[in-house]
Amino acid sequence: MKRIIFAVGLFALPAFAESNVTLEPLPEGSVSAAEGAQMWENIHEVFTHPRCINCHVGEDNIPLWSGPHYGGEARPHGMFISAGDSRIGAEYLACSTCHGPENSAQLHGAPGAEVWLLPPVEMAWHGKTSAEICAQIQDPERNGDKTLLEVAEHVAGDPLVLWGWEPGPGREPAPYSAAELADFVLKWTAAGAPCPS
Amino acid sequence: MGRARTIARRTFLIGSAAVAGGVAFGVYKVKTPHDNPLAEGLGEGEATFNPFVKITPEAITLITPHADIGQGVVHMQAALISEELDVEFGQFETDFGAPDPAYWNTALSAEAVPFASFDDSFGARTMRGAVDGMAKLMGLMGTGGSSSVPDQYEKLRAAGAVARETLKLAASQQSGVAVGELKTANGAVQLPDGSSLTYTDLAEAASGLDPVTDVTLRDPSTWRLIGKPMARKDIPAKTTGAQIYGIDLKIDGMVHASTRVSPRRGAMNGYEANGADTMPGVSSILPITGGVAVVANSTWRAMNAVNQIEFDWADAPYPAEQDAHWAEVAASFTEERLDKEWRADGDVDAAMDGAEVISSEYSAGYVAHQPLEPLNAIVRADENGAEVWTGHQLPRFLQQKVAAIVGCEPDDVVYHNQYSGGSFGHRLEWDNITQAAEIAVQMRGTPVKLTLSREEDFATDYPRQIGMSRSKGTVKDGKVDSWSLDIATVSATRSMSGRLGVPVPGPDTQIAAGAWAMAYGIPNLRVRAYAVPELAPTSSWRSVGASTAGFFAESFLDELIHAAGADQIEERMRLCNNDVHRKVLEAVAEMSNWGSAMGANKGRGVALVESFGVPVAQVIEVTNTDAGIKIDRVYVAADVGRVIDPVNFENLVQGGVVWALGHAINSEITYSDGMAEQTNYHASEGMRMYQTPEIIVKGLENAEKIRGIGEPPVPAAPPALANAIFAATGQRIREMPFNKHIDFV
Amino acid sequence: MQLTINGTPHDIEIEPDTPLLWVLRDEIGLTGTKYGCGIAQCGACTVHVDGEARRSCQVQIGDLEGAEVTTIEGFGSPDKLSLVQQAWVDHQVAQCGYCQSGQVMQATALLELNDSPTDEDIDRVMSGNLCRCGTYPRIRAAIHDAAAKIKGA
Repeated sequence: MKRIIFAVGLFALPAFAESNVTLEPLPEGSVSAAEGAQMWENIHEVFTHPRCINCHVGEDNIPLWSGPHYGGEARPHGMFISAGDSRIGAEYLACSTCHGPENSAQLHGAPGAEVWLLPPVEMAWHGKTSAEICAQIQDPERNGDKTLLEVAEHVAGDPLVLWGWEPGPGREPAPYSAAELADFVLKWTAAGAPCPS
Repeated sequence: MGRARTIARRTFLIGSAAVAGGVAFGVYKVKTPHDNPLAEGLGEGEATFNPFVKITPEAITLITPHADIGQGVVHMQAALISEELDVEFGQFETDFGAPDPAYWNTALSAEAVPFASFDDSFGARTMRGAVDGMAKLMGLMGTGGSSSVPDQYEKLRAAGAVARETLKLAASQQSGVAVGELKTANGAVQLPDGSSLTYTDLAEAASGLDPVTDVTLRDPSTWRLIGKPMARKDIPAKTTGAQIYGIDLKIDGMVHASTRVSPRRGAMNGYEANGADTMPGVSSILPITGGVAVVANSTWRAMNAVNQIEFDWADAPYPAEQDAHWAEVAASFTEERLDKEWRADGDVDAAMDGAEVISSEYSAGYVAHQPLEPLNAIVRADENGAEVWTGHQLPRFLQQKVAAIVGCEPDDVVYHNQYSGGSFGHRLEWDNITQAAEIAVQMRGTPVKLTLSREEDFATDYPRQIGMSRSKGTVKDGKVDSWSLDIATVSATRSMSGRLGVPVPGPDTQIAAGAWAMAYGIPNLRVRAYAVPELAPTSSWRSVGASTAGFFAESFLDELIHAAGADQIEERMRLCNNDVHRKVLEAVAEMSNWGSAMGANKGRGVALVESFGVPVAQVIEVTNTDAGIKIDRVYVAADVGRVIDPVNFENLVQGGVVWALGHAINSEITYSDGMAEQTNYHASEGMRMYQTPEIIVKGLENAEKIRGIGEPPVPAAPPALANAIFAATGQRIREMPFNKHIDFV
Repeated sequence: MQLTINGTPHDIEIEPDTPLLWVLRDEIGLTGTKYGCGIAQCGACTVHVDGEARRSCQVQIGDLEGAEVTTIEGFGSPDKLSLVQQAWVDHQVAQCGYCQSGQVMQATALLELNDSPTDEDIDRVMSGNLCRCGTYPRIRAAIHDAAAKIKGA
């Protein structure tokens, strides 16, 4: 363990980039329960898209690859990559070894963004049901200590989230747009943030 | 001793020639090409001046004509000369030498004839001699077929010995000391009084002497270098970024080019430049066969611009979709496509009549070469000739190819071979060189450096042959009794020779290589090779035919032995009818402690495949883990007759196993819309560090003839792995790549 | 664009999206850094940027204002091998050698981070560097050997 602390110390740990978007909440009750349920379906569709869920992975700290050239199923990131408990690869091979501040322009080149890391392990969605993720995103213990308004602002402006819609050549973007996703979150919140049973 | 002398004198009459201020040794008088190549001994012919050893007052240069594609053959060749010449590494330079028929490869024929490597019958010798003669006629200076050591083993030692003895004669005349009193060491002739005369000091005197050709090669017991661990002279440079490969060369005034030719290997209907021609640094878009080249002032600008262009490609000359390739292979087990029945021991049909017949089908897809240094070449076309810089394995053909484009005589093409960043068969092809030449003739006088992008290299690779096997067999009384092995592959040999313009007559020895000459005395054994008509063009891939046929054969033999209820190694040893082969099996059995208990979810597999005359046995140990199959250890025993350098030998065997296992696990090329679907290493990975097992190597020296080790470690690894997986899981893998059927860690 | 390469300041005028790899090879003439894949799949182009290993094919020169870049040439030469390079020579690692610049650069970064790497640490860090010749067993041995020497030094 000593080594890992030393290792993390060597790297400039990137600050989790913050969204600079501010949003106004919709009046509570202004969205129907049925529309709220649909909003969650839309949100879930985005969250479980490969551009999002491939990095929202669990304790093994291993991101996933998927896409037309990687076979049907998502598979572990090649090259035996582990992002480590640091979630930035500090213990082994830093994510920044290959992932720079912008996407490679080459087909199948390394994607990149201002910061490149795995979200904290408590935010893991991979392998979870829609209901589980729905409960998780509302729980400040497991959503980065955010209110749902802050969640909406986060998805609207966090550079790594925004990457999901500009993932570089050869990768399918996440569905909808960041602004639409934020709007879904606001409407879902106004409907009382209903979760599927 | 008498035998060594005879060989040295018969193989070539060593001579010498004066060169500017010095002397060149190893000049040898090749028999005139019109003589009967089968005649005993060598007649007098015209001398050709092709030194292996050049000594001037300034420097000692050893000529190492075999191409270094990573196998360390420059060092090996220099060591063979040094052994007799008594020069030390550091005292001489090496040079690939200019292409010349005098460097003809006297060992390439071994695999080109339809006789087993250990067959020393009159027919086998006659055919090998005839092919040798052809190679000589063509001036076949080539590197391939793991032939460098067998080609050079005696030749280069003889060249060193002649040089040494002639230098001693020069020293004797100069000092008045009798030759018998003189010794040599450290690049100098040593006099009894303790003084010495360096070879460089003696160069001028030696150049006036008739060379001393009545030399005796040293007894192996006196060797300083051969058989002992060496330190390859290229390794420090390769460890510090100082080694210059073809891709690193800079020639004054050169321009950079990148190409895109049809990924369907056909014609280009047209293209839209899409602004590529006006991008920064781009000077022109030039037509070449099947596509275009962008010429720019940097590699990156040229590659970038090519990516901007939109192309319209004509259809592929082969089926557009992979399924149709497989269908053609499957339809090739017919009388019309029978290339040769190689083996018909006993009566297979009678043995199977009424018996319980076991049958299975195996398959192996196309696989790319993709050495890490992308193909490249620098060509400058002049008015009456050309100059070429690139790494290649067939320099004389390279001259012909370039000459045809430039419009000059092959001898007017000056070729500078380069250290290569791997080949695995890739640098037996031409496209990078002919493309660079096609660009160069459109801008004569300007050196053109062509660098293929990795994507272009994948798209235009000539992969390994695709193929299938159908096996049937029976067991009786706990023993293997009959086996009919039918193998159908496309002919990589004919595909290559077609591009070379040199048809290879007779059956393709490679389709069933590693299988038809199997050293097993199975009572009833039939091996038939079927030639699938050309589909996607293919080429030699490290170990060539045996890389597929070895998998087909040793995997099915495993099935038969399993059905017989026998032990996999004991039954192979019982069947083995060749002592050299049996000893490699015995070696791996001992190394792996075969038969000892293994833990749960573990298994061992064995395979024995001969490749380029080298029998190689491997035992592989695997564990079936939650994350997939983990390859724990590989034990390898190989018999090359004589190990030149045990360190490099071990490295090449380990590398061959890694090459074989990585591709067997995860790599193939598939075609869709007429194009290879795999565009870079993410989709055709080979082995990486985390999958690499421990590999324990033993070199045996029981075989009578010396052989090379570049390719032979490859074919036995995939069947040994598949057999180990069966032992650990009960699952029989009958198709490469294996990850289509089972997960790996 | 001003940056330092192997201790020497360079002022480079070029399209800012040019990969560092091609600046090193074509503009500066440092060819020890190799082009293998162009998409961070092979590791042959590994250099150190401000002390960290980076695939230079993925680094745009425009992002390197003020950066300190070290290439394989900055670590040693055939006559003056670094400790890691010496281990590579002692173990006779290279075959074709084309990947070895990147392997040495990545191993050097590993050993700066961790002077007692386990086999798993080596697997995790070195598996991004392809060696088509298959010298992995020797690379592993050389890293362990270099680690022992670092600790003994």
